[in-house]
Amino acid sequence: MMFTQALKHLVLILGGIVVLAPFAVMLSYSLKSPGEIERGTGGFFGAQAPMVDAMCFARNQPDRAALEAARADPPGQSDDVILDRLEAERRDACSMRPAVFNYTKAFTEAPLLRYLLNGLIVTLSIFVIQVVVALPAAYALAKLRFWGRDAAFALVLFCLLIPVNAVALPLYLGLAKLGLTNSYAALVIPWTISAFGIFLMRQFFMSVPDDLVDAARMDGMGEFAIVWRVMLPTAIPALVAFAIFSVTAHWNDYFWPRIVITGDRDLFTPPLGLREFQAGADGSLYGPMMATATIIVIPLIAAFLLAQRRFIEGIALSGMK
Amino acid sequence: MTQGRTALLLGAPALVLMMAILILPILAAVILSFTDYSLGASGIRWVGFDNYGRIFGSSTYEKMLVATATYVAVVVPASIGLGLGAALLIQSLSRGAAFYKSVYFLPVMATLLAMTIVWQMMLHPTIGVVNRGLLAVCGVLPEGVCPAEMPLWLGDRDYAIWVTCFIGVWQSFGFNMVLYLAGLSGVPRELYGAAEMDGARSAWERFRLVTWPALRPTTMFVLITTSIRAFQTFDTVEVLFSPGGGPAKSVYLMMFAIYEKGIVQNLVGIGAAITVLFLISVMALTVLQRRIAERKAL
Repeated sequence: MMFTQALKHLVLILGGIVVLAPFAVMLSYSLKSPGEIERGTGGFFGAQAPMVDAMCFARNQPDRAALEAARADPPGQSDDVILDRLEAERRDACSMRPAVFNYTKAFTEAPLLRYLLNGLIVTLSIFVIQVVVALPAAYALAKLRFWGRDAAFALVLFCLLIPVNAVALPLYLGLAKLGLTNSYAALVIPWTISAFGIFLMRQFFMSVPDDLVDAARMDGMGEFAIVWRVMLPTAIPALVAFAIFSVTAHWNDYFWPRIVITGDRDLFTPPLGLREFQAGADGSLYGPMMATATIIVIPLIAAFLLAQRRFIEGIALSGMK
Repeated sequence: MTQGRTALLLGAPALVLMMAILILPILAAVILSFTDYSLGASGIRWVGFDNYGRIFGSSTYEKMLVATATYVAVVVPASIGLGLGAALLIQSLSRGAAFYKSVYFLPVMATLLAMTIVWQMMLHPTIGVVNRGLLAVCGVLPEGVCPAEMPLWLGDRDYAIWVTCFIGVWQSFGFNMVLYLAGLSGVPRELYGAAEMDGARSAWERFRLVTWPALRPTTMFVLITTSIRAFQTFDTVEVLFSPGGGPAKSVYLMMFAIYEKGIVQNLVGIGAAITVLFLISVMALTVLQRRIAERKAL
């Protein structure tokens, strides 16, 4: 029995190594110097020996004023000595530890902060609009009696079969005709309708007792008020799961932003920014590129590790999609 | 106000958006697939089944169909098998289950684009850790066991598709594991006792007679999701094999073809035709699997 348990752990650990390998490489490269990455030396953390930022070094050529100042202090040196000294100073000023270099470069080489902000704006807008659209519809399907309700629900079920990515081409053409490509609207619009969200909320509302709705009507509440002040609070657990599912999917999405954002860097989402970085990176920027990757991947992983059960529930929901 | 009018009011935004974003584009794709339309062109010409003829007649698109079929046929069973295997192992542990569960779920959460770039670096023929590791192992092994040259991986047409499949499985099996763990927790314990009384002594017999049938709904569910996701694979191909779709177009998956033909090269007609084939495959798969699931449930 002990033996089988040990064997199971062995298999799972070997699997775990393969699963975690890219994460380890990403983290490790984000800390190392270009030389260490190329030679495969330095262990996990790298030696962290100070390195000179070649671009900073090239950029800060001493100007005439600096030369004059150096010549005067102290006076009477030969030009070679002065130039050597200035170069040494420049080298010093531009040297830093590889880890610092990589993470600084990640933010200075490209407007990464802007990308992250875009990612936040887009994911949150998508989620909020999805809820604003889906919740009233779900309430109508679950709690109101009207002609055509079955047909409407059948339509929702049919839409569940359609992956939005699959109709990307006609959607893109439509947005292009409307002149909406390269805008936040283009990033958000295709995801505003979530048939899955409607389905999920409808199933949830079916389990809410009719008495609750009737009581609210007795109190003189309008239907809108019922949706937002009575139904919404009952649906919080389902909404949290849906939020996790939605935010994860759109933070990580690359396909759609790739299509509708062409060139305008101010609208890049994090994955687009990283891809651009990769396309332009020569070997010396592997470290900063991996630092960028780490920064993009970390928020969700951190949130996941903090609230694992909720996350797993939320993501598993998408299986119903 | 009657309930009908209220419902219309509440449901209108959803209805309009469903029509505009999901239903109309399907119709548009079907119509466009019979034309030679391109964005910005002044004219549009009806070309009948020409676009479909080209898809089934030219070697480029034949490669696309083969690559997509290969990818789905490898990733789906592998991802389901590993997911189930991991779930069975983890569930039978006396300690450490939560740890493995989190570890295996990490790739599902992580941005696939970023992780693909990392895999690309790892698979670099000379400075990648994969070939470095293989070289180190080969240094210990007797001569002749290892090939003289290390594989190029992504640059080699014999490896490229399998590496892409591997990344697909790596990314997705944790998701299936979680669903199977949920499924396993719902299998009644008494069934195992009953099976043992009936003579199911070995673990395999118990799995075959109790666990596997009890997991059938989960398996159906997992099969649908994994297939649809496999069909939609784009990020890995775009990062690793853009433009073109890999050595000898061996990794020219459908989603990538739609993007490259329909959007990058503005060959809308062809892109639309691939879109239609794609939609038919995915929707047929889903409907079929739901049917099977319903019949089995009866």
